[in-house]
Order: sequence, then structure tokens, then C-alpha cells
Amino acid sequence: MDTLITHSAILIIAIPLAAAFLTIPIGMASKKARNALVIVSLAFVAFLVFALARDISINGIHIYTLGATSPGLAIPTGFIVPVRIILEVDGMSILMGMIWSIVALAAAIYSLSHIAKETGQNRFYTLLLLMVTGGFGMMFTGDLFNLFVFLEITSISGAALIAFRTKFADTQEGGFKYIVVSAIASLMVLFAIGLLYGQYNLLNIGALAQVIQYTTPDKIALALLVIAFTIKAGLVPLHLWLPDAYSVAPASITGMLLITSHTCMYAVFRVCFTLYGGVLDTPVVGWIIIIFGLLSMFVGVTMALRQKDVMRFLSYHAISQLGYMWVGVGVGLAVLGNAELVATFGRDAISGGIFHILNDAMYMPLLFFIGGALFYCTGTRDLTKMGGLAHKLKWTTILFIIGALCISGIPPFNGFSSKILIYESVFRFHPILTIAGIIVSILILASFIKVFHSAFMGAELSEYKAVKEVPKSMIIAMVILAAGIVFITLFPSLIVDWTIHPASDALLNQGGYINAVTGAIP
Amino acid sequence: MTAILESGYAFWNPIILIIVFIVVMVVVYLFRRRGQKGYKKDTDQTQIFLCGEEVPEAEQRHIRADNIYWGFFETLKEYYNQVLRPHTGIINDYILWFVAVTAISAIILLIAGLR
Repeated sequence: MDTLITHSAILIIAIPLAAAFLTIPIGMASKKARNALVIVSLAFVAFLVFALARDISINGIHIYTLGATSPGLAIPTGFIVPVRIILEVDGMSILMGMIWSIVALAAAIYSLSHIAKETGQNRFYTLLLLMVTGGFGMMFTGDLFNLFVFLEITSISGAALIAFRTKFADTQEGGFKYIVVSAIASLMVLFAIGLLYGQYNLLNIGALAQVIQYTTPDKIALALLVIAFTIKAGLVPLHLWLPDAYSVAPASITGMLLITSHTCMYAVFRVCFTLYGGVLDTPVVGWIIIIFGLLSMFVGVTMALRQKDVMRFLSYHAISQLGYMWVGVGVGLAVLGNAELVATFGRDAISGGIFHILNDAMYMPLLFFIGGALFYCTGTRDLTKMGGLAHKLKWTTILFIIGALCISGIPPFNGFSSKILIYESVFRFHPILTIAGIIVSILILASFIKVFHSAFMGAELSEYKAVKEVPKSMIIAMVILAAGIVFITLFPSLIVDWTIHPASDALLNQGGYINAVTGAIP
Repeated sequence: MTAILESGYAFWNPIILIIVFIVVMVVVYLFRRRGQKGYKKDTDQTQIFLCGEEVPEAEQRHIRADNIYWGFFETLKEYYNQVLRPHTGIINDYILWFVAVTAISAIILLIAGLR
């Protein structure tokens, strides 16, 4: 078991990568064997992620140096800086890893039935596993260039998956928009990395953080990195592509795309707190992030209210939810230079924002899966054509109610737990942020009442008399996420103490991240 | 306690709210048990009564998504006109936004650094 934990960081990336290439030959021989390979590999990866999380909670930051005689040997003999690819997993990375492993597993289970009638399923699962690889790589890498490489893997597989159902014209448009936007964001990241590498001759995040000066090229690199990842996360006003792409992908993929948005948000936090943390003009960057967050909350929810396409409706809500996280973490960043304010409310604001990432990662994919279930049953995403579906889709209706109450922040659901942490902490920074958050929550509830009424309520409509509940694998996937919601709802403090505070402390402890590489003992 | 979340100002315990909810449900159930006993399922007494008028079909009775919150959208028409303007669906326009926001952010960071 110790050997497994020692090599777990690379195994978590390598297993889905290997499974991705095995999917096609095995799938050509047997469809059942292929499905078993996908589910078993993702379940094993989830086990490894949770085992690594336990190890990190006991032993602190986990580093893995590729090609070294010992995985802990970050700096080779005769060198003064790290030159090899290093994976560095701390409290924040592993939280993202846990989220990704659960959602990827649920998405794969959901896909078993959801895409069962489509052609090219072997390629679908290959791309899904490549996307999982890219996501874990982005979360675990301690190297800027590898961050770019894994971003590319995630983007290319994501675009192909969006355009997977070639029988629909809008999927091709969505896939095209996603790949163009991703290519631009990736080039911006690459240019920023070039600016930093040209000055410091380093790519390792920890080693760079130790020497970065905040010169003019550093500031331009910071702007490029923050905006590139903000584009990929889908914050207002850089969100315009997101509903076009998310709404046309298979619902299981939309759930995963949402987590890639979270991952890009994680990259922004990593850049601001870990890479630039020591030299950053924190009030200015903090306010930039807060403004992005506020705009996303308001524009996201008001745009969602007027949508008639259920997946576009949910996509705009995904944008709105990202806003809450940015406001929480942005407030923490804005006061980062003042230790007293960090202790008073900054850490709580960051924890609230990160807790909201976890909660959003449970209820938002659940709602996307429900949107996919509605499309699966009715053949339309148009809410104006739906009605009375609660008579036929009893499980889906109950799960929709759970998801809707969570996203609206209705107590006692988990959405409320993270929102109250954000509200109470950001109030001490500026009360208007809390007021904005509460108004947006009211609008979220109003918009979900609209969808609940128009899709599920009312008398049974004649065109949906033959509709049946969705297949079991889709229900199981949705129940996995709902079970996560119920657990977080019942034990918020347990979750915050075990996962959220270690994650926010990891962001605040820049020295710990740097020392894990530069002071690593083999 | 694993259920009590300290938020700095106060605390939040979902278990208390769930217990209160269950108690309220029990009270509601007890009230309901004291209601009319003459209800018969699938008889005329369960049909919709519209003052003797003919009841429209289910499709015509259902209020569709595009009719909900009409007043809200009418009041905020100007806001929506402005917000919808950048949502052209054209990728070229999206990229213009990316360039503009990147440039503005870089300028803000550079100017702030001059202080």
C-alpha cells in the first residue's frame, strides 16, 4: 500500500491515459468489457485519489519527481533548481482531485445509457478518459509548461466530446467555438509562460515563486494567465461561448466540462496565491476577481431566467455559481497582505469560496444530468414544449427538487452552508457583496420555480403519455451525486475541517508549497 | 460536533432544521387526519370545477415557460436589451471581448504598479 501511495500521483494520471488507449481495441472485441474497463479504471483512480488525500492530511504536501531515482528527489545532485517534471499535490489540488474523480465516475456511469444509441462509442470513452487525464494533470502538476500541456489535452478532448453527436448541427458549432476559444486561451498561457521562462529560466511553480520579481513582463504574464484561465472558466464578460458549447454536449460531458471550468478557476487561484503570492498587488487583483464574480452572478442568473432551452438555462446558472466562488476567494486575495484581516475574515471568505466549488461540483452536474434526462425522454430541450413530466419521471423529479433547492441555497441543503460562509465573511469586507449574493439567490430560486413548473408540474400532456423513467445507470449516476449532496448537507463541519480548511490553508501557505520543492529531502 | 458549522459570526446546524421540519410535518399530518373523510378517488368529486364551464384540455391549461415572469422581463426590457447585445453567437465578437478585457486588465496592473 505504501508503494501505491508513493506512486499514486502519477498513477492517477497514467491509469486513465492507459485506459483511454485500451478502450478502442477492447471495445472492438466486446462492448461490455469496454464499459467495465472504463468504470473499473475510474473507480480505482477514485480510490487512489482518496487514499492520497488521507496521506496528505497526515504527511502534508506530496511531491512526485518524474525520472528521479526517488520520487521525492526534487532537485537532482549538482543542480540548484528543479529541472525535472514535478507533480505537487497539496490540500487544494487533492480537493479538486476528489471532486474530479467523483464527477468523472458518475459521468461515465451516466453515459452507459445516455449515449447507448449513438455511434462511435469507443471513441467517446477514449476522449472521456483523455479528458479525465488532462483534468488530473492540471490539478496535480507543479510545472507551468505541463499545466499548458494538460490544458491542451482537456480542451481538445472536450471539443471533440461536445461535437460528438454529429447528427445535430448545433453540436458542431458548439465544438468549433470551444476549440477556438480554448486555442486562444492556451496560446495566451503559452505566451505568459514564455515571458516568465525568458526572465527566470524556470518552469517549476514553486521555484519560480521563490524568485519572481513582479517586473513589467511579470505583470503582463499575470494578466495573460488570469484572463486566459478566466476565459476557459467562463466568467462574465468572457462567458459568451460557454452556453453555446455546454448546452449541446451530451449531458454527462456537460457535467465534466463544468469541472474543467472549476479546474481553470483553480489555476487562477494557483497563479495568484502560489506563483505571485509573495509579490502580488493583492487589493488590485482581488478587486478584479471580485468584479468578475459580481458580474457573473448577476448576468448569469438574469440570463438564465429568460432561457427556454433547459441546457442553456443550466449553463447560465453554472456561470452565476462561479461568481459566488470568485467573490469569496477574491475577498481573501484582496486582504492577503494584511495578516489581521486574513485571520478575521479572509480565510473564511476563501474557505466559503472553495466550499462552494465542492457543493457546485455536486449539484450542478446533477442538474445537467437531469437536463440530459429530460432530453432523453422528450427529445427536446425546449421548456415551452414540456409539462406534466412529474407524472412519469418520479426519480428525476425528486432529484431535480434536491438539485434546485441546493443551488438556490435553501436550508438545510449544502448550497446554504457554503453561501452562509461566503455571506458572513464578505460582509465584513463590503456589505454590498453579501446583499448582491442574497438577491442573486432569490433570482436563482425564482428561475428554478419556473423550470419546475413548466417541465414537471401540470396535468399529464398527451405527447408524453408514452414517456418512461430514464434507465437505471442514469438514475444511479444522479443518485451518486445526490448522496454526496446529502452527506455534505448533514455534516458540513466535517467536510470543512477535513477538506476545505486544508485547501484554503494550502493557498495561503505559499512558503509550504515552495519548500516542498526547493527544500525537499530525498 | 461534525454537523455544526462555525461561520465566524454564528453557527449553522442542519440537524436542528431537519428535526424542526420533521416536527412540522408530523403536525401537518395530524391536522390532515382530522379532515373530510368523504373523499373518493377517481370519481366526479376529484374533477376540476370551473363554475360549470367546459374545462380545457391539459395542453391548453398548462402555463408554458415563455409565459412565466412576463412582467419581470417587461420591466427589465432595457436591461435585457443591453445585456443581450454582446450575445451575438459570432465567435469573432467573442474574441474581441477577450482581447479588450486582457488589455484592460494588463493596463490596470501596470498603472497600479506605478503607485
